[in-house]
Amino acid sequence: MSFLKAKAPRSREKRLDTMSAWQGTASALAAELSAKAGVQRIRTFSQSSHDDLLYALRLLAGIRDSVTVVHAPRGCAAAGLYYQTGGVGGRIAVTNLDERDTIMGADLKLRRAVKALYHRYRPEVVFIVSSPVVAINNDDIQSVVEELHEELELSIVPVYVTGFASSNAVTGYDATLHALLKYLGGPRRDQEPGGKVNLLAVAEQRQDLREALRLLAALGAQANVLPDRASAGAFEEATSARFSIPLDRDTEDYLGASLRDKYGVPYVEAPRPIGLAATGRWLAALGAALGTEEEARKLHERETESAGSELGGFSLLGVRVYLSLGTAAAFGLLELVREFGGEVAGITVSHLDQLHCRRLQELAGRYPDLPVHVADGQPFEELSIIKRLAPDLYLGDSAHLGQVGRLGIAALSLENAPILGYRGLAWLARRISLALENRSFGAALAAIAPPYRQAWYRRSPNWHIKQEVK
Amino acid sequence: MADHIEGSRNSCALHGTLAVVESIEGAVPVIHGTAGCGVQNYLGVTRLNPGSDPFGAPPISSSNIGEKHVVFGGGSRLREQLKNTVKVVRGDLYAVLSGCATEMVGDDIPAMAKEGREQGWPVIFANTPGFRGAVHQGYQLAVKALIEQLPDLGLAPVGAAAAGAVNVWGIIPRQDPFWRGNLEELGRLLEGIGLAPNLLFAQGEGVAAWQRVPGAVLNLAVSSWGELPARLLAERYGTPLLSAEGLPVGRAAGELLRRLARLLSLDPARVEAFIEQEERRLNAHLAGLADTYYRNGFQREYALVGESAQLAGLNDFLVGTLGLLPRLLIVTDNPPEQLREALAGRLAGQSPGRPPELAFSEDRAEIADLILAAAPELLLGSSLEAGVARQLGAPFLQVSFPAADRVLLSRGYAGYRGAATLLEDLGSAILAHAQAAAR
Repeated sequence: MSFLKAKAPRSREKRLDTMSAWQGTASALAAELSAKAGVQRIRTFSQSSHDDLLYALRLLAGIRDSVTVVHAPRGCAAAGLYYQTGGVGGRIAVTNLDERDTIMGADLKLRRAVKALYHRYRPEVVFIVSSPVVAINNDDIQSVVEELHEELELSIVPVYVTGFASSNAVTGYDATLHALLKYLGGPRRDQEPGGKVNLLAVAEQRQDLREALRLLAALGAQANVLPDRASAGAFEEATSARFSIPLDRDTEDYLGASLRDKYGVPYVEAPRPIGLAATGRWLAALGAALGTEEEARKLHERETESAGSELGGFSLLGVRVYLSLGTAAAFGLLELVREFGGEVAGITVSHLDQLHCRRLQELAGRYPDLPVHVADGQPFEELSIIKRLAPDLYLGDSAHLGQVGRLGIAALSLENAPILGYRGLAWLARRISLALENRSFGAALAAIAPPYRQAWYRRSPNWHIKQEVK
Repeated sequence: MADHIEGSRNSCALHGTLAVVESIEGAVPVIHGTAGCGVQNYLGVTRLNPGSDPFGAPPISSSNIGEKHVVFGGGSRLREQLKNTVKVVRGDLYAVLSGCATEMVGDDIPAMAKEGREQGWPVIFANTPGFRGAVHQGYQLAVKALIEQLPDLGLAPVGAAAAGAVNVWGIIPRQDPFWRGNLEELGRLLEGIGLAPNLLFAQGEGVAAWQRVPGAVLNLAVSSWGELPARLLAERYGTPLLSAEGLPVGRAAGELLRRLARLLSLDPARVEAFIEQEERRLNAHLAGLADTYYRNGFQREYALVGESAQLAGLNDFLVGTLGLLPRLLIVTDNPPEQLREALAGRLAGQSPGRPPELAFSEDRAEIADLILAAAPELLLGSSLEAGVARQLGAPFLQVSFPAADRVLLSRGYAGYRGAATLLEDLGSAILAHAQAAAR
């Protein structure tokens, strides 16, 4: 029961039957997921995709006044350079393990790195992130943490990721949130009735966070945002908050559930606030928890009206859309596309698990034949699916939009785009209109040959997805 | 000396190998490692090179090993991945590259590549765990694998190398953000004196260009990292090599062409005529800039952060032609100890006045400290130094990796044209800074 006792949480596969490879119709998928057979599928051909280490780095790069030490060979911190460009000043260093260290172990290097970085920056907290090499080698991170914690009187938080133990990168968010709360949460405290509300946010856009905070403020709630842009203190503060509300339950579930089960902080169930209807439901859930249902209803009416005037005559009538996103965002956009009269031709989601059972049942009831593809990355499969479906518009957070654009499909990247709440909707509507208005860039790309063989496109897109043989 | 690195800009050996293989048209990398190895490279290297996406290549074919492969070995997973890569991804050459985890487990990469070759597939391999070094070591591992393994693959013959073919080594794609532009200009200069450049990575240079490597009359290394392949080829084929001792910028390009001409006994009249024409054009640009130069006080004390070859080349031009004053030079690519002294000597020799302070570091914090202490009036470095430049209130130009705020397609600072481009970029940075300060 207790979420936080172990060194690291169990992998998503073990905890929630999370799947990372699947392709078929919504009804077949719903049937399989509800059967809870626990059948895992693997790929016999795969392309590189995120792992738990990358997600840990992405999350930690956003923690204020922190230093992250990646205990690994140098390449395992490469993405840190990229995450830091959008971060808030969390620093990332790597212990730079060499061949000898992989044989002899390198506790000493880790110890020296933590000490040197502590003396240089005097951060509030130091994170130590493990890696494939350290996981295989069994380097003793825990004793370094305990000794230096005493010696330096410093919060040191170990985050145990491996790069191979789970095929779902979202396990890395679980592992990081587990560590943050375990080491920074402190003892159980009483809830403060008029206290703050935990706004759970993992890797959200700055504008999206601002929009959520604006709505919270409009209902008179003070927010404690975590983990995005949080300081170490926010995790302790979180344990006495009135309640927690998520922006993306897929990524934040572990944090919300841990706060509820270990600290008794209520965890409000709310959808990802994408589109008018879902934002309304998110607001209603917030209002109910705050005891301001009426104000929440009125706020939604007001905002819907002003959003309406900003949207003008925006419509997706007759537009067939393909969605390729993190799961919660994909489900949110699916609803949004319908709200504006569009048709969803198919979706690719990063993963699916028990958190999505109800949602999938609804979906299968309404659109039993909707093509669903479960994959992180894997553009070879997605492009084959898209070529068959020939949608008009592609909305995705993927890394292969050029490949989509060259097929004559209007493509919009949502990776660094605000999509939440009323303001996100206005932004999205404007960008979609522009993407549909001119597809010349995609046409210009069509002259370049795509990377896959013709023979591949003739195969079924799920050719390389097989049931795992234990 | 600390072991850890903050904000490392040198990535790892696997990523250096990927820089090579992904930049050869028709070559397909196959990573045998954890799922994140390829994405680390994509986020930490490719994305920080706006304009250097290998179209359609990422994400890379990767075996994405799981716990079971770590425990029981991942050889059979690699076998399956390689077989299916050949079926799904078009390619003239497949390169199996190992990551840290599969090397530690002891998977037999060469045996799997050999199995592939027995199937008739063109497969090479390189053992490239990140713990073997930085991007520079990876470049060398990849180039070595290509030189040693390509001739035995039984690829269709591509015809003899052109007369006067020269292989150009030492420019690491993406680690030199200007790699395409620099290669194109070097190629133009070699053509200008009647040679046939084999640029290996430039547009339209596929696997065939690598097959023609043994037929060159000379191997030219424009950085110390390129000396290993040049030496390797000297041993195997007896081809002479020439080390440029830095990227030639401006008049240094003329000197390099003269050295080449002497070595290959080219017609001196033709070479001099070409150099004269190039220098006339550069001189005209300098004259065109003169008024702006004096009026805006271009003559400044500067700090320069970059890899040894680029740093030596840029510094030579900034000091020797543009009359600026180097105060701090920071070399970020960890050249081997025995080269550091030679580099120090060369850099000191470039300065007519006070010799610059020279430092070797790849640690972002240490580099920032050094620059702040030197307090230069002008800073040339990577986007990791942007914050320091703001702190100093100094004009700033991104010239080394990562140049994350610059879209770089065919721009380069090598040669005569590169010198003019550098004048444009540096001059514009100084003017924009002055105008912003005046507002």
